[in-house]
Amino acid sequence: MSDASTRDRGFFGETIRQGRIFVWYFAQFVKMRLAYRTDFVIDALAVMFSALVQLAVLLTLFNKVEALKGWSFEQVLFIYGFSLVPLGLFNLCAVNLYRFADAFIIEGRFDRVLLRPLNTLAQVLLESFNISAFNEMGLGLALMIYAGRKLSLSWGIEEILALMVLAISSSLVYSGVFLAITSVSFWQEDRMGLAPPVYNVIRFSRYPITIFGAPVRFFLTFVLPFAWVAFYPATWFIGSPEFARWAYFTPLVGGIVFGGAVLIWSRGVRNYSSTGS
Amino acid sequence: MTGSNSERSGERNDPPGGESLIRVRGLTRDYRLIKKREGVAGGLIDLVRPRKHTLRAVDDVSFDIAPGEMVGYIGANGAGKSTTIKMLTGILTPTAGEVSVGGLVPWKKRQQYTRNVGVVFGQRTQLWWDLAVVESFGLLKKIYEVPDDVFAAQMKTFNDLLSIDEFLHQPVRKLSLGQRMRCDLAAALLHRPRVLFLDEPTIGLDVVGKENVREFLREIRDRAGVTVILTTHDLGDIEKLCRRVIIIDKGKVHFDGDLEALRLRTGSPVRLSVELRDPVASARLAEVTAQLPVRWQEAEGLQHVAEFRRQDVSGAQVIETLVNGCKVSDLHLAEPAIDEIVASIYRDPGKESE
Repeated sequence: MSDASTRDRGFFGETIRQGRIFVWYFAQFVKMRLAYRTDFVIDALAVMFSALVQLAVLLTLFNKVEALKGWSFEQVLFIYGFSLVPLGLFNLCAVNLYRFADAFIIEGRFDRVLLRPLNTLAQVLLESFNISAFNEMGLGLALMIYAGRKLSLSWGIEEILALMVLAISSSLVYSGVFLAITSVSFWQEDRMGLAPPVYNVIRFSRYPITIFGAPVRFFLTFVLPFAWVAFYPATWFIGSPEFARWAYFTPLVGGIVFGGAVLIWSRGVRNYSSTGS
Repeated sequence: MTGSNSERSGERNDPPGGESLIRVRGLTRDYRLIKKREGVAGGLIDLVRPRKHTLRAVDDVSFDIAPGEMVGYIGANGAGKSTTIKMLTGILTPTAGEVSVGGLVPWKKRQQYTRNVGVVFGQRTQLWWDLAVVESFGLLKKIYEVPDDVFAAQMKTFNDLLSIDEFLHQPVRKLSLGQRMRCDLAAALLHRPRVLFLDEPTIGLDVVGKENVREFLREIRDRAGVTVILTTHDLGDIEKLCRRVIIIDKGKVHFDGDLEALRLRTGSPVRLSVELRDPVASARLAEVTAQLPVRWQEAEGLQHVAEFRRQDVSGAQVIETLVNGCKVSDLHLAEPAIDEIVASIYRDPGKESE
């Protein structure tokens, strides 16, 4: 029954094979999206608009005050800019997580996912993309470059590598948290009631967490670790040695959160009970 | 399909007695449901102490299917058909029991298993809604690693039998239901699976659409020897495609065997329609066939209908007696329709009811 000859490529070989397929998924998706140009433009505008609103909040805030608990406007702006990059990476693939309970569990599309010889999580994350998330990342980079110049930050190889590693690690924190929440739908078919409040917490994580009291800081560092999606990693760049040390733990936190979420997901897949009779 | 005949025929030279390709033993699946209480207070109580109860959707189902068989798996809504199919395809894990399809357990090594089977759900497409048909097939080719020559041969077969080339460049969402079903069938067979699972493949199709699907399934059964399990509400599908049926009711197998044996077992009556030259009352005809176990429906005039059971009397005997006794202008003998047979199985007293 099994054609072992073409199958035994080992874990890495198979991962590469599937990786290629998902690159193809992405190409197909972009092609398809570009066919609906207006949708594409509207999405892009919506993303930019919501980012600019948040930026306006920062600007207004710093119109009134010189600094925020010792953090200058440029530093806060840099942290905000950084936060947009991992958020964009996450949003790029998170489309299906938001609608997972409805589209995959209740509508039963997860059946199809299980019928293909591909990783289930990769299929869900990499089947639909939110291309306008690139705008988010672009805006984030622009803000970082602008604020960085004011802070006389020099961008060398080291900084660029650090940015890549830290941004990916931070996006794993986002993905892990929302993946864990999404996985609950395997047990509880009710709509994901947890996602919107958790999503709102992200907003807090864009400020230097020293402006909050100790309980909130603890919460954002260890419980819902959104301090790792912007504040800790961003401080590595803007030279605040007290917190920059924490930045080195970002990949570890990303790995733990995402790894844990994948475990919950796999248990959920085993618990999947499909719809209908 | 095409090109696969040679390699498959070797495997189909089964030892006498027949080796099964699909082996199902004691397959059982429970669903755990929460019985909701009414009102706000009830909702709160549900949160703390939900009233759980278990529904056994599939109950100790066992059967064997030989390579190349096309088996109809039928039952009413909620009888457990889809649940069985979902366990056989690896979507659901059973509560108890064993399944082996070509030596593989569907819910273990899922990725490897899916390469060996094709699945069509009539209710929803397996294709990418927004992609053109041709792109969907290109993607499936990559996913299942179908070699170029096999792909070309398969596509040719699908064009010949299903005329999918007519809408290859349209996105799946723009296809009619019939076209979509043709694509889904082709997509499920692209990687030349040995086993094909069809869950309601003709649901919602018009007469022509149904006929197309049945014609195609007959072709692939004969050409490629694909083993097929088919669930359906439309017993016409079974009558046209399957010699063997498995009937499931309330999760249990009620019948497993030949369609003919099923007709005999249930003893549903054969119906003889008679057209006479001169009008008479049915009582007169009953006198003619008084010696035979035949029942006439009350009627006056030229058209009459008699019912009898094959076990009791042969059709020839009834017709002979009738032709000798009165002037007959036309006769038509109808086998019991399979849906009547199934209905009679469901009415069968002595089976537990809810």
